[in-house]
Amino acid sequence: MTDMTRRDVLKIAAAGAAAALPGLPPSALAQGTQKRELVVAQGGDIAALDPHLSTSSNDIRISFNIFDNLTSRRPDGKLLPSLATEWKLQGQTAWVFKLRSGVKFHNGDPLTSADVKFSIDRSLDTNLKGNRVSTVLTTVERVETPDPGTAVVHTKKPDPLLPARLGFYGGQIIPKKYVESVGPDAFNAKPVGSGPTRFVSWTKDDKLVLEANPDYWGGRVDFDRLIVRALPEMAPRVAALLKGEVDLITQVPPDQGERVKGNPSTVVSGALYGGLYVLAVNSKRPPLDNPLVKQALSLAIDRDAIVKELWRGRGVVPSGMIAKGDNHFDASLPPLAFNASEAKARLKKAGYKGEEVVIETTVGYMAGDKPMAEAIQAMWRDVGVNSKVEVMEYSVRAQKIREKSFKGLWWSDPTSTLRDPDGMMWRLLGPGGPQDYWRHAEFDELGNAARFSVDEKFRADAYKKMTQLFLEHFPWVPVIQPYEDYGLQKYVEWTPDPLQQLEIRRFNFKFRRA
Amino acid sequence: MRGLLPFLASRLLRAAIALWLVSTVVFVVMRLSGDPVPLLLPSDAPQSEFARVRAELGLDRSLPVQYAVFLGHVMHADFGQSIHFRQSAARVVLDYLPATFELGLAAFALALLVALPIGVVSAVKRNSAVDQATMALALVGQSAPTFFIGILLILIVSLNLGLLPTSGREGWQSLVLPALTLGAFAMASIARLTRSAVLEVLRADYIRTARAKGVTEVLVVVKHTLKNAAVPIVTITGLQFGTLLGGAVVTETVFAWPGIGRLAIQSIYNRDYPVVQCTVFISAVLFIVINFFVDLIYGLLDPRVRAS
Repeated sequence: MTDMTRRDVLKIAAAGAAAALPGLPPSALAQGTQKRELVVAQGGDIAALDPHLSTSSNDIRISFNIFDNLTSRRPDGKLLPSLATEWKLQGQTAWVFKLRSGVKFHNGDPLTSADVKFSIDRSLDTNLKGNRVSTVLTTVERVETPDPGTAVVHTKKPDPLLPARLGFYGGQIIPKKYVESVGPDAFNAKPVGSGPTRFVSWTKDDKLVLEANPDYWGGRVDFDRLIVRALPEMAPRVAALLKGEVDLITQVPPDQGERVKGNPSTVVSGALYGGLYVLAVNSKRPPLDNPLVKQALSLAIDRDAIVKELWRGRGVVPSGMIAKGDNHFDASLPPLAFNASEAKARLKKAGYKGEEVVIETTVGYMAGDKPMAEAIQAMWRDVGVNSKVEVMEYSVRAQKIREKSFKGLWWSDPTSTLRDPDGMMWRLLGPGGPQDYWRHAEFDELGNAARFSVDEKFRADAYKKMTQLFLEHFPWVPVIQPYEDYGLQKYVEWTPDPLQQLEIRRFNFKFRRA
Repeated sequence: MRGLLPFLASRLLRAAIALWLVSTVVFVVMRLSGDPVPLLLPSDAPQSEFARVRAELGLDRSLPVQYAVFLGHVMHADFGQSIHFRQSAARVVLDYLPATFELGLAAFALALLVALPIGVVSAVKRNSAVDQATMALALVGQSAPTFFIGILLILIVSLNLGLLPTSGREGWQSLVLPALTLGAFAMASIARLTRSAVLEVLRADYIRTARAKGVTEVLVVVKHTLKNAAVPIVTITGLQFGTLLGGAVVTETVFAWPGIGRLAIQSIYNRDYPVVQCTVFISAVLFIVINFFVDLIYGLLDPRVRAS
């Protein structure tokens, strides 16, 4: 997921400056509230309200509250019914969805299978100006609507992940009649969905106002209004929380988390990121074409120190290419080992001659990218690797991804909106993918077979074997699976999602009443 | 006033050339700095998708053609469609402009209101404790980065003292801290310059004459000194207005103030060419207009300028 807004996640320098400044105000120990309004502050403003026009995290935090999907991914990773109450595979390629009856859009129109067909077709429409989700549902061949309460989605090939795909961006259900009558611009300016909140107003770069949908099928949410503010700088965002001006803030970096925790009326709540932070490797470039060198680079990283020192414990050490919480994660695998003397031995065996190994890093595109790159550079130097850190700008990174022109290693935060290795790893590392710098016949065969198999047992075996190959060749050097932390007032009870979507529903949110 | 028309005509011509140069530089720099399309699409989007979006944004044409189209549109005050907001770039910038005006004027008023009396008092009471304290403070105000002042004010005034909101734009209370932050630099430099300009005049012969005539000290300062010290003060004040526009970028980001400074920085990150071009163009227009008025005020204040 390449959202531009991730860049404002962490500004270490600012955090440091702010943390060095004197203490906090004596806050009222109010643990309950009479509030009927939830105020959320995130790092950037929304760009579009039409769910087909954006995939950025600032936007999906809003659109998943205005719109519902057929399926819903819960914070614990389970896929549950949403607008569809049940679904099953008919034959190899037809998924039949039964729709929840009696659901209405915010303007009162009933939600039927015609809206489902319209929404999926529109998401795939490359003529829709500004469409940013046209690649999400490309496995879909056509949608049929045998009756208003049933939608049948035919896929081109067997697609085991279709129900999961429909649960994330690209899969929001929009009202056919309204969109067709007002046109795309008016729909984007004044969206109508069927979700738990409905649109009231939006003042650009200031605030967005939503109100509770009283007729929501999942029960009315525990507030009258939801206000979303854009506070781009992290230190002021934390200050706004500590002062009680806002109830919930996103993207709290570890050192600021301590401040939030230290304040008597606020807490930190995090979800383990649904992906990994890895150093992707240009395995075509010597000495990185030698698996022994890459094994040594992985062995030389003291990941526990990175988790403890740079992340204040807010992360876990990965065990391979699959993130904890994703499908087919193998809990029996040990965390990636740190062994400096073994690293030296493998470098020697590889015949490493001191060739330069470059890490190209952005500053703040991913949380902690530059400090981690510098720490790893020092660890590599300790085992005799001639390592170097070069800083690049976000758009240069985007360009290098297109041109596949990285000099050595660079940061990537692979994640799958489906919580599956296919979307997380194979999408990037597979042949022709954006990180296709290393090919291995057996790895490729397994990855392709797993993609189109609807047999989960087969897929589990395939990913197990692929992980073994991965740990020999390291097309990525995984570093950490961090927590994504939010700051909350103590009277806010809310479970965060691992994919940044900030869904607020009755089942995961309530105000603690005084 | 001799030859107001030729004066106006030459100023207008120079303004037009300046605007053309500014827009050309922005156009070239933005194109050199990178492609917006990879930022808009997922990294695994197929080549055809890139081509489609590039064509949609008109980026598939050659640079000279893009430049010609751009200039043609600028003549009609049309800066194209914003890539990020999907509406007219000029519309977007105009939506953000009032907030910046509000902040800029407040910062400016605050700067003048504080700086002028301080400068005058410091000059009159030269080397007194008041003089030394305020000038030391001014030095700090002039040297500290805006970013630092902003966060410091949020932490101390808003968080520790609980006095004003930390950020946002709601009511006059939320205007105070950003205006103070933005105005700090201008305030400091206007105070320092006012002090030296007044000191300069106080040493002049005609002041000694006035004093010898028995004119009261208050009258000496208010009537004789201030009027003569005004020209350098107006100059620096006019220039400071320009730096306010620059400082707005940082201040608006720190305080989440929805103005064009913040819009500019976000649009640069997003490679939203049309909005960046429009923002810079409008800022340049503002700068030129302000300088024009400063020149006019000179003429009113100083007969010698009028003559030349």
